[in-house]
Amino acid sequence: MSGSQLLSMRGISKRYLGVQALDDASLDVRQGEVMCLLGENGAGKSTLIKILTGSVTPDFGVIELAGEVIEVRSPLEAARRGISVVHQELDLVPDQTVAQNLYIGREPTRFGIVDKARRRQEAADALERVGAHFSPNARVRDLTVVQRQLTMIARALTVNARVLVMDEPSATLTAEELSHVFTVVREVASGGCSVLYISHRMEEVFEIGNRATVMRDGRTVAVHDLAAVTQDGLIAEMLGDQRTLVDRPLRDGSHTIAGGLDIKSVVIPGVLEISGITAPRGQVTGLIGLGGSGRSTLLSALFGAIKAQRDVTLDGRAYHPHSPRSAISQKVGLVPEDRKSQGLMINRSVWNNLIEPSLNQRLTMPSQRRFTTPRSVVSALGIRLSSLTQRVRELSGGNQQKVVLGKWLVDASTVLLLDEPTRGLDVGAKADLFDEVHKLADSGTCVLLASSELPEVFANCDTIHVLYEGSLAGSFHPGSNTVDQVLQAMLGVKGAQ
Amino acid sequence: MTQVSTQGAVTPPVGRGESRGFRGRTRSLIVRFNLLLIFLALCALGAILSPNFANPNNISNLLQQSSLVGIAAIGMTFVILTANIDLSVGSVAALAGMTVAIFIAGGMNMWLAFALSVAIGLIAGSVMGGLSAYFTLPSFMVTLAGLVGIRGLTYLLSDGTPVTGIPDQLAYLGSGRIGPVPVVGLIFIGVTVISALVLNFTVFGEHVYSTGSNPEAARLSGVNVKKIITITFAICGGLAALSGVLLTARLTVGQPTANEGLELDAIAAVVLGGTSLFGGSGGVFGTFIAVFMLAVIRNIFNLMGLGSFYQMVVTGVILIIALLLNRLLENRGKR
Ligand SMILES: Nc1ncnc2c1ncn2[C@@H]1O[C@H](COP(=O)(O)OP(=O)(O)OP(=O)(O)O)[C@@H](O)[C@H]1O
Ligand SMILES: [Mg+2]
Repeated sequence: MSGSQLLSMRGISKRYLGVQALDDASLDVRQGEVMCLLGENGAGKSTLIKILTGSVTPDFGVIELAGEVIEVRSPLEAARRGISVVHQELDLVPDQTVAQNLYIGREPTRFGIVDKARRRQEAADALERVGAHFSPNARVRDLTVVQRQLTMIARALTVNARVLVMDEPSATLTAEELSHVFTVVREVASGGCSVLYISHRMEEVFEIGNRATVMRDGRTVAVHDLAAVTQDGLIAEMLGDQRTLVDRPLRDGSHTIAGGLDIKSVVIPGVLEISGITAPRGQVTGLIGLGGSGRSTLLSALFGAIKAQRDVTLDGRAYHPHSPRSAISQKVGLVPEDRKSQGLMINRSVWNNLIEPSLNQRLTMPSQRRFTTPRSVVSALGIRLSSLTQRVRELSGGNQQKVVLGKWLVDASTVLLLDEPTRGLDVGAKADLFDEVHKLADSGTCVLLASSELPEVFANCDTIHVLYEGSLAGSFHPGSNTVDQVLQAMLGVKGAQ
Repeated sequence: MTQVSTQGAVTPPVGRGESRGFRGRTRSLIVRFNLLLIFLALCALGAILSPNFANPNNISNLLQQSSLVGIAAIGMTFVILTANIDLSVGSVAALAGMTVAIFIAGGMNMWLAFALSVAIGLIAGSVMGGLSAYFTLPSFMVTLAGLVGIRGLTYLLSDGTPVTGIPDQLAYLGSGRIGPVPVVGLIFIGVTVISALVLNFTVFGEHVYSTGSNPEAARLSGVNVKKIITITFAICGGLAALSGVLLTARLTVGQPTANEGLELDAIAAVVLGGTSLFGGSGGVFGTFIAVFMLAVIRNIFNLMGLGSFYQMVVTGVILIIALLLNRLLENRGKR
């Protein structure tokens, strides 16, 4: 299926203040193939992509497209040359409709006037291709994260792309939605368009990819035919030789410490009706379900971020958070689903972001020299940065995600509500994160973990609660239930237990 | 995915190459202090063009003239840092300048009248800010309503005529000097220093920045965003009122037409000073310098005997150039 050389990037280097993001990196892509780009958080994948798509200028390096040396000075120029991209961070205009967003900057016109009917029609077609079930007239602000992601992919498809770049498109998609996307990707590739696919999920890489390029510390370390390598081999290459991943036993739920959250009922009329979930201290309690099943809504309600009727106790006492502030004062922390819009102030420093939740009891700002907890949180989570005063936007996606969790470790929250906390983390970082979460649980923290990745939940939770369309569809134990039983419940099959 | 755990050395958290290098550091210093450099260059230009420029008397006049706008601009900085805007400062200043005159004419103790008038500004600001924050109305519209409504109220209070009878002690605050330094200048410097301390060293200040950077993330980190916004409007209203009272003190009459267009001067100074209209970045130091810069430009024109029409045109052009320069230096640091 893979044809002649289409794209070649050679000798690409890029230095930022304090970091060599890319150091003589290279990338070759053939026509019609799906090339996967792998590497740890901060390896330089996104930077390489940004150079290809004209949003960052390299210090050195040559880009060749179809045998011609090109210089990509702006994203618009990249689009004109047929390089289309779905970025890691969603960049849509929230107050405009989906159709408007799809055609931003290149609206279809008739006699110089935007042809709205045609735009709506074409937008609807593009949305259908990615298997999205919402109207092109919907406002982006009202969409869920998943729907926004699909919008981004649809946008990339509306350009007649020669190279389609997808930087972690799957981080927020459920299995079902992802398979839609994969169908689209295959279709696009068989039409002769090359796809550059970045993901930290190895199964996906093997499912969709033809070849893989592995990056480490800003360099390209290997290129493989995916049919000829093993997952473990790739992981070892990504992580370098200083560490390995080992199997860890399933959690058995036996280690319980008195207290924790007892969710007798949480109700939001018409949206959510949950009762009978307990999250004891000392355990990791999992929440799983399809997109729109109510996981995030439940966590937001428990954090006081949205209005709900709550009958909940924390350590035996009534727990009524009327605002995030009051939840935080009871040592409850939330890692929200969308780090960019809900979790981070990306233009402020790592330090400012990390200490934010711990400021509420204080009057004056702590000094960086005396207040050393943030620094130890940074090393506990292995956040890669050049200094604490570096702006969060300058960190790689995975490292930004770690900052969102770090915020709650600075002041040692004793109830952690984690909504897709591993979004964008590499394999090693994921394992590190769960090590940290297990350690916290073992020391008496109550952890509620919402995720759309079943294997991840299965491997790391003591109990798994399945939500389906806003209510509890069943509770399972990884020790005594099978993955299949959980999956059945997720899909709404009655009596799965 | 298999169940995995890590073993062995953990990646060092601090990236390769901690040092920033001399070139990097100088550049970031230039970005940070470019306004100050432009300001100093302008002063040098002034000194060359007119021998009177560096005269202590002239400098002291400069301070006298720019301080009242400056005080209002400092308040405006708080509001703009939260990504809001206050168009009502001119009207609030006029109202407070009028009430202080009316209170005193009615026989009230002048310090009480002073304090009450500033409090009126504070309340006006918090009402507008509160309306905007708690009912999620755009602050642009709420304060535009304030601009019109409060100005009207000022006319109503005074029947459209000036009110006289400001005692000497109060007049001293507005036009007096301690040695060569005007009293209002000292007040302006004091207000700036206190505001800088509040913004940089208190949690309230930090919350102002977080609210402007990302209100949703701030709320989910426990910041009472609505309260913070309301307080910044109260500060802005209070400082506008202070500016208005000081103007009445200087003119020794309360005029209903006073301070027209103050909001534009204040906003221009804040933005020229490098505070982003999108909120979350900037500070009062930039505003402080920018206020002087605008005054120096005006001053140079006066000394050269050019009319105010030229001044207006050139001020506009300089505003644009300074903004472009700011943006250019900023992008240089980024890409
Ligand atoms: N604007 C910037 N300023 C300073 N450093 C930056 C900037 N952008 C990226 N970097 C640094 O460059 C390195 C590579 O980042 P990049 O985003 O390319 O990583 P990545 O491979 O995409 O990682 P992830 O898997 O976490 O998304 C990181 O160390 C990051 O901190
Ligand atoms: Mg990335």
